[in-house]
Amino acid sequence: MKPEVTTVMQGYVGTLFGSILPHLNSEYSMGDTGLMAMSFMMMAQEFDRAADIRLQENEDMRALFAHAAEEIDNEALTKRLREAASGADVSLRVHVLTKANEELKALLIVLHEYVEASKARWAPKLEMRIWSVICAGTERRKLDLPNFL
Amino acid sequence: MSDIPERFAAYLQHKMPHVSEIVVSDVNRIYGGASRETYRLNATWKEGGEEKYRPLILRRDPVASLIETERDIEFNAYCAFHPTGLPVPEPLFLETDLVWLDRPFFVMEQILDSAAGSVFNADPYGDHAAKIGEQFWTQLGQIAKADVKAIGFDKNFDPVAPADCWRVELDKWEKVIDEDELCPQPVARAAIRWLRRNPPTPAERICVVHGDYRTGNFMFNGEGRITAILDWEMCHLGDPLEDVAWAADPLWAFQNPERPGGMIPREEALMLWEKASGLTADTKRLQWWEIFNSLKGLAIWISAAKEYETGASREPILAFSGWYCTDVHNRVLAEKLSILNAEARR
Repeated sequence: MKPEVTTVMQGYVGTLFGSILPHLNSEYSMGDTGLMAMSFMMMAQEFDRAADIRLQENEDMRALFAHAAEEIDNEALTKRLREAASGADVSLRVHVLTKANEELKALLIVLHEYVEASKARWAPKLEMRIWSVICAGTERRKLDLPNFL
Repeated sequence: MSDIPERFAAYLQHKMPHVSEIVVSDVNRIYGGASRETYRLNATWKEGGEEKYRPLILRRDPVASLIETERDIEFNAYCAFHPTGLPVPEPLFLETDLVWLDRPFFVMEQILDSAAGSVFNADPYGDHAAKIGEQFWTQLGQIAKADVKAIGFDKNFDPVAPADCWRVELDKWEKVIDEDELCPQPVARAAIRWLRRNPPTPAERICVVHGDYRTGNFMFNGEGRITAILDWEMCHLGDPLEDVAWAADPLWAFQNPERPGGMIPREEALMLWEKASGLTADTKRLQWWEIFNSLKGLAIWISAAKEYETGASREPILAFSGWYCTDVHNRVLAEKLSILNAEARR
């Protein structure tokens, strides 16, 4: 698609702020329009990266689960971790990746809670690795907004 | 909104039977105050042969909102603090009868020639930043110092013990996440576990907690004087450090976390608060409330996202909060908790 979707969204932000908002006479409509313009900025960022974020995060979690399955001493959880780790993303449609991402995150919470409570020798290192996956995910999802003066 | 002038005029006539010829005009919905529909309007009437004019604020319960609260709690907070000299609007009427405007509402004084700062502006107060910052933190200290019984603030709240207030608040916001999350929240869940594993020391004293004291929720005039502290809908009794931590939350600092709300440096802010409140900003306890407040923020944004996603409300602020604010608080919490947990393992 030309112009690129991100270009169009950024253009719409300019139109909303520059051509539409100054001509509104309702304070509430101005507020809504401003927020919609800022949301377009975020959508422009997300459109380009949404699949990549989810794909990388899913791969990180599966790798973490494969590693954790070798360390932890809980049979039922180990089985769940191995099953999840053996999965793969077969479509790059965002809603499909999101569904897998949410299933993996549900298991991540279970694993995290289990590791936090463990006093085993492997626990501190594994806990750090879990945080590393979580922090990488939150950084990847960071939304940049400019300073509005 | 089109029938508000006539219906509100009828309400004012009901509340002020001794006056005549009431006219309500210039009704304008205000942006912000996301938990209630807030309208600015002007009322005129004849009283004792004289023409009277009063600009008013009408706060009506919404169909769905960012924060679910009881309107009488906010109204009573204004009633408690207005006589103390703290800059809050004068509360006028609280109405729960649906006959007037279909939903409960309250009415208060409109603060003129003032504006609120934007949380999206890295320098919302310009040359007045230091002057406003001094008032902002001093007035928060005054709120903490207030005698909750003497000003009648405590009448709507169950007593809470200094050792219990953290648990009461954490239980409340964890329940919100349990009920409203639409997808798994690894950061929020880790935060809840950390907060329960590391309870804070008891509150130095049970105080009024505003609950949403921050940039955007107070007004100031052209001389840099704070003219109104607003949005008391989440106020309660508890540890005053809860307010300190919320006011200093990185979300309101935007591009400079060392100057909370774009005002004065954090260290100076805490010193002013301590001086005005007579209390201590205990570092360890404050840290607990900082983690808690970022979690509370997440709970609010998770709820907002649900309201929008399910169609309960299609207010853009709900979608925006569900995206941007969730992103900020997830990042803030992940960074802090990863460090705290690593330290605890050493």
